[in-house]
Amino acid sequence: MIICIIGFIDVQVQDILRERFCRQQLPDRLEGVEAQHKHLLELLKRTAVHGESNSVLIVGPRGAGKTMLLKCVLRDLLEEKEAQKNLLQVHLNGLLQTDDRIALKEITRQLHLENVVGDKVFGSFAENLAFLLEALKKGDRSSSRPVLFVLDEFDLFAHHKNQTLLYNLFDVSQSAQAPVAVVGITCRLDVLELLEKRVKSRFSHRQIHLLSNPTFPQYLERVRTQLSLPDRFPDQEFCQDWNDGVETLCEDKSVQDVLQKHFNSSKDFHLLSSFILSPASLFPLIYPFFSTSSSISSSSSSPGVTPLLLLPADLLEASRLCFTDSKANMLHGLSILELCLIIAMKHLNDVYEGEPFNLQMVHNEFKKFLQRKSNSMYNFEQPVIMKAFEHLQQLELIRPVDSTAAKTQREYQLMRLMLDHSQIMEALQKYPQCPTDVKQWAMSAFG
Amino acid sequence: MSTSSVSKGCFVFKPSAKKKKTLSLEDHFSHGCESAESSEKRFKLCQDLWDKIKSDTEVLQDDLNRKILDSLLDFTRKCSSTRQLSDWASQMRASEIPTAALVLGVNVPDHDMTFQSLSELLQQSVTPHVASVQAKECGALKHLMKRVLERLMGTDVTVDDEEEEEAEQTSTPLHKSVHCSLSTLCDWYKTKTKKSNTPGKKRSSPSRDDPQQPPVVIIFKDLEAFNPKVLQDFILICSRYIERLPLMFIFGIATSPSTIQHMLPHSVSSLLCIELFQSLSCTQHLATVIDQLILTHHFPFKLNAKVLQVLMSIFLYHDFSVRNFIKGLQLALLEHFHSQPLSVLCCKKKDALLNVMQLSHSDLERIRNLPSFKRYVEKQEPQEQVNLSKDDTHLKEVCQKLIKGLHKYHKNYYPVLRCLHTLTSSLPRYPLGKQVRELHLICLEKNVWENEDYQTAMKLLRMLAKDELVALLQRCVEILQPVKSKKMKNAFLQLTDLLTKFKQLDTVAAEPPPCVEEPIISPVRNLQKKTDLFQLQKTLLEMNESRRAKKLSPFEVLRNEALEFLDNLVKSHLSPPESHTLNEVCYYTSSATVRRHLNATPRTSIQAALNSPYYYLQNDRLKTVDGSVSNSAPDICIAYKLHLECGRLINLYDWLEAYATVVSAAEGNNPDSDNYGKVEEVKHARFIRAVSELEFLGFIKSTKQKTDHVARLTWGGC
Amino acid sequence: MTKMLQHSGYEEERLQRVAELLPCREVQAGMLLSLMGQPQQCSYPSIFIYGHRASGKSHVMQVLLKELELPHATVSCVECVSVALLFEQVLLSFFGCDAASLLPRSPSLSDFVRIYRQHCSQTPAKQTRYIVMEKAELLRDTDANLLPALLRLQELVDDNVTIILLSEIVWDKFRPNTGCFEPLLLHFPDYSKGELQQILSQDKHPSYSAEFYSSYINILLGVFYSVCRDLRELRHLAALNFSKFCEPLAEGKVKETDTHKLWRNIEPHLKKAMQTVYLREVSSLQWEQLQQMEERECGALRGLSAHTHVELPYYSKFLLIAAYLASYNPARTDKRFFLKHHGKIRKTNFLKKNEKTSNHLLGPKPFPLDRLLAIFYSVVDSRVAPTASIFSQISSLVTLQLLTKVSHDDQLDAPKYKCAVSMDFICAISRTVNFEIIKYLYDFL
Repeated sequence: MIICIIGFIDVQVQDILRERFCRQQLPDRLEGVEAQHKHLLELLKRTAVHGESNSVLIVGPRGAGKTMLLKCVLRDLLEEKEAQKNLLQVHLNGLLQTDDRIALKEITRQLHLENVVGDKVFGSFAENLAFLLEALKKGDRSSSRPVLFVLDEFDLFAHHKNQTLLYNLFDVSQSAQAPVAVVGITCRLDVLELLEKRVKSRFSHRQIHLLSNPTFPQYLERVRTQLSLPDRFPDQEFCQDWNDGVETLCEDKSVQDVLQKHFNSSKDFHLLSSFILSPASLFPLIYPFFSTSSSISSSSSSPGVTPLLLLPADLLEASRLCFTDSKANMLHGLSILELCLIIAMKHLNDVYEGEPFNLQMVHNEFKKFLQRKSNSMYNFEQPVIMKAFEHLQQLELIRPVDSTAAKTQREYQLMRLMLDHSQIMEALQKYPQCPTDVKQWAMSAFG
Repeated sequence: MSTSSVSKGCFVFKPSAKKKKTLSLEDHFSHGCESAESSEKRFKLCQDLWDKIKSDTEVLQDDLNRKILDSLLDFTRKCSSTRQLSDWASQMRASEIPTAALVLGVNVPDHDMTFQSLSELLQQSVTPHVASVQAKECGALKHLMKRVLERLMGTDVTVDDEEEEEAEQTSTPLHKSVHCSLSTLCDWYKTKTKKSNTPGKKRSSPSRDDPQQPPVVIIFKDLEAFNPKVLQDFILICSRYIERLPLMFIFGIATSPSTIQHMLPHSVSSLLCIELFQSLSCTQHLATVIDQLILTHHFPFKLNAKVLQVLMSIFLYHDFSVRNFIKGLQLALLEHFHSQPLSVLCCKKKDALLNVMQLSHSDLERIRNLPSFKRYVEKQEPQEQVNLSKDDTHLKEVCQKLIKGLHKYHKNYYPVLRCLHTLTSSLPRYPLGKQVRELHLICLEKNVWENEDYQTAMKLLRMLAKDELVALLQRCVEILQPVKSKKMKNAFLQLTDLLTKFKQLDTVAAEPPPCVEEPIISPVRNLQKKTDLFQLQKTLLEMNESRRAKKLSPFEVLRNEALEFLDNLVKSHLSPPESHTLNEVCYYTSSATVRRHLNATPRTSIQAALNSPYYYLQNDRLKTVDGSVSNSAPDICIAYKLHLECGRLINLYDWLEAYATVVSAAEGNNPDSDNYGKVEEVKHARFIRAVSELEFLGFIKSTKQKTDHVARLTWGGC
Repeated sequence: MTKMLQHSGYEEERLQRVAELLPCREVQAGMLLSLMGQPQQCSYPSIFIYGHRASGKSHVMQVLLKELELPHATVSCVECVSVALLFEQVLLSFFGCDAASLLPRSPSLSDFVRIYRQHCSQTPAKQTRYIVMEKAELLRDTDANLLPALLRLQELVDDNVTIILLSEIVWDKFRPNTGCFEPLLLHFPDYSKGELQQILSQDKHPSYSAEFYSSYINILLGVFYSVCRDLRELRHLAALNFSKFCEPLAEGKVKETDTHKLWRNIEPHLKKAMQTVYLREVSSLQWEQLQQMEERECGALRGLSAHTHVELPYYSKFLLIAAYLASYNPARTDKRFFLKHHGKIRKTNFLKKNEKTSNHLLGPKPFPLDRLLAIFYSVVDSRVAPTASIFSQISSLVTLQLLTKVSHDDQLDAPKYKCAVSMDFICAISRTVNFEIIKYLYDFL
């Protein structure tokens, strides 16, 4: 009975949290960026309601909440009858509309003008766009309806040929043909440098910066709000002690250290959510899966009335997963032969101050090692060594110096090692049943 | 056709349609060939002969490849069957693509034939689904895909327009890209097999002869030339479909199997289950071809020693290609019938006799002028000589006789040759060569029995122990047996009763005492070890001594008898063709032509042209006694000649002055006039052009070191 | 247990089956499942799974998606020669062929998204859709904005879809320079020895007992684990040597239980197999043949690599030798090697101080055609005319990849080549024409 209730509750909790972390569900009110929010809202309102043209750029690092901001603004904007009735929206994305032809098609589609355009042929891009806006005019009302252009990944549009689209949009926004608002979203602070002069001159240099660098308390606060359940959650007392649990969690020293670490590495909220989401931390709590799976679930599968406490251990685990060097992970899986080759390369790097090397040299180095002191390793044939070498290249742990691979024999192609000393050493320490003489060889100053 | 240009280059002429219509092969043949009247007859003969040779070689090819092809077929059958069997080993390998690495040797031109017959055999006996691809048509992965699909599903019709799309294409259009994925192939295959499956049969019991799922075989003709990346991707893709689609590969490898490792990284090669097949070496192949085509009297057309030598050397030194060898043979054939009017007589005996009767007077005159015939005439007594030179009908009769003789000669020549070879090829240090062709060459050259190698061979033979000798004679008998000619028949008889005598020898009495046998057998035995000639001679000598010393045992008597007999055979039948009258009819002699056609030397001919321009532009003013170039030669010749006297670096200005003096000498203005040898614009321009032409021909090149110098690319005074 | 599994929204026995199908991958499967959540719940936009070859990446994905009957599309990026194929496959497996047929010729990303949007608006997702991309590293080679777009596809098409990228290469090598939406990273670690033992033991020979086979696997791992951890390779080796291992049984010399005897019997063979590990040169059948042959004339084990002898025409051999000399000797030493009477030039005279590493370490140097010919004429014993076929031989050597052409194809005058054959290969060649090449090699002076 109680079990199934808990199960039921779990599912709800999950849904809420997943909504937050996966879909970036809009919060009721944004923290920290109220000013920008107000500014943008004003701007758009003027277009939507009073039919002024505007152009603005929202600039900020990835995960700073640019899209979030815009969405919130739009949400709030559309609460107004006026705006809702008039405003037309066109959403373009630099990733999708890779050139202006496609972009224009998309615009036409989003303005539902395909049938109007039919199969007319236009001399220039400008004509086409003008026609579209004209067509809007021929709506029910005499004055044309305001159009909001949202250009996500704005910087990519700057790479289009002659920046025709940008030029025309900004041009329209300058001249009072039809009320348009152009909102560009980009993560490049130098985006203006990308614009051609004629384009730049037509752009109202209005920029909204989301250089969010919250203080750590804010960051912590953010985490708390992200985790805690809303008040409208059906089961009140459950919600209560969940939130308490979150509270205690955020108090916890070790947790704070972890978060601090993340905070220092990046303030990206996507990253944060992905970290909190990352399997070790959250979900085993909500429902531990195969009970075979390690400490995570054992910690979490602690039965009780409130199984839903986030344990610090899990967050630690999560951060450990986040911060493990993936290269080290890969190194762990290599065969001993490949590892030996890497060590040989390391020695070559030490000797020749990071000069590139080829397979022959590496093999030579390896042979030297075998002659000097090895009881555990075989002396392999050249082809076998070659295969191991190829594998390393495939894993991109080594990379050819010049890409003209076709011309030269593989044995003699110059390579560089993509690992540094510490990584190799660390890998060696962790390596399962690594022969001691190999270890010593790696340690030894000069191969 | 001709061009206005002087320089020898290659020019493309679009053949005008009507010309192509009118000119048939025969017209080409008879165009500008000796004595047109008999040309069409000769053309016919030539054609027939060539067709015969061609068919024979094809047959030969097939049964040469028989063995390896059969093993390959077995391999494919095995794969297709084990795929359906469910034994442990095959289950372990279920995820791997069975692959045959077929090592064919470097004689790439010959491979096509092999693959041709291979795919035919496969289609006959194992599976209808065979596609073979070449590297040059699969530059990118999608091309390879396209080719494979087309050839398997038989949609070749669409190739052309798709080619155009390829030419202009930027990204593959949808409908095509649907075609171009292996999944479509899978569906196609499913439908195929469903259709083919008769409902009665059971999946579980696959019968070897018609597998339920015929494998899909893809042949990569030239593995080395493939782009590794493309190949790897293709294999990766194939391996994803392996359980739905019984694929198998055949790699045609020219060099060595280890190229597979060079081309494929482990991640890819681990998807293959490779088995190795080695084809027989091309030298053996050639040996058989020669044996069938050259060393037989079936073909009236013959090559003389030099021509054969040329063809052989091209094969051995340049390309191991049997196909090219046969092409060379064809060339010789064509040349012979084209250039030699009397080649009308080069055909089957009775046709030849008929043709003799129809010889025109001019042809008879030609015969009279044949050196071999002259020799023959001189041997006759005066009256006969007169008749031969005057009386055409008589001459014709004589000719018939002579032709008959020639044919006989051939009939007997080859069996005897083989006998001799069988005898000598087993001797230590091969005095007369390992291969029969070498012996053949020797015999063609001159009287083989005057050759001292022949003497040594005979000496060695005289020392053979009985068992060895008998064995050899036995083989000779086997050779002679099938031959249908009088001489050979009774030779065969004599040999046989010699053999019987040998047999009797030990049945009658065991009395040749071992003490006699020992010193005779042993030396030959330990001769095998001896290597240097001197040693050999010495031992031979002392053996002769020893033999003279004591009386001969009956065995030795018999042995000498037998060898005498063989020696006579050789002397009577292995005389070189030049010694036979009318041999010019059958023997093609001009090795120079063949060499010029098959093994051209562009650089030397250029140099010849520059050294002695007369040779090409038959202008008498250019005639010179010694090698020197006359002053009136073309500019380039003069420039060339001058540059030969320079060192590695040539100072252009000195060169120019030297040139100017020479040219003005040619203009014949007197040496002591002041403007003699002085450079004015025209000369300068001409010189510059000559130099640039030389550079174009690759005799000189400009250097970084000194701007006013050019570097010479020729060595010494050549 | 029951309770926990009930939560996850899948029937228990299914999960059980999954668990059986994924030996030694329960942890990863668990993580994945918990990430995916319940079918109807929304899930994280993109997940990046990396791990070594044959560490069960795609296998786990396939099993999960198939067994739990989740809507999914699996695409191998090798197969997608053009993005069109990729889009097509995805649409095909989500919305059926009518959707796929809507794609225009050479579709752009926006076409794809448009069609996707309109279809999933018609048939909204009740369950999370999954797109699995194998060999995702190849996505980097296609047009630059494909990968970032895919990573945030969920947002672009706003549908409950998750992209799962599988690769052997770490994520750091994927990240485009302007950054992109960061996927969740998930590592599939390589199998430990015990796990390998467990997995390999599963495919046992029907006619032998399980423990017998596992003991065999145990021996096998004992030998090979140190050098080879690739499951696929190990399986191959197991299949290769098992028959050998069973021989004494077949002859009835030893009992199944007598592991020690069996070990002594098989061990030398495994040691030999060590030399050709990873090379995959022979199928099991030929392997046995080779072993018998090599028992007869006891040479080193011969695989494909041993068949390196190549028959070449006489002059080709010399051309190859000349090429080798040209590419491994410094040009300035030619005088000393090939002039008849070059006076007394000691090595020390023309040995530069700086060159300490031998050319056989650095590899072949390119050389111009005329140098090749010059050396050729001086090494070949007889006098050779510069015939056309000599030149054609050079080009055919190039097609056989014994030489490689360095200069560009359309450079007609003075093309440059390199010799692409190994030391022992050339030695074998020069032995056949009895030309002692060592004397002419600068490195061996």
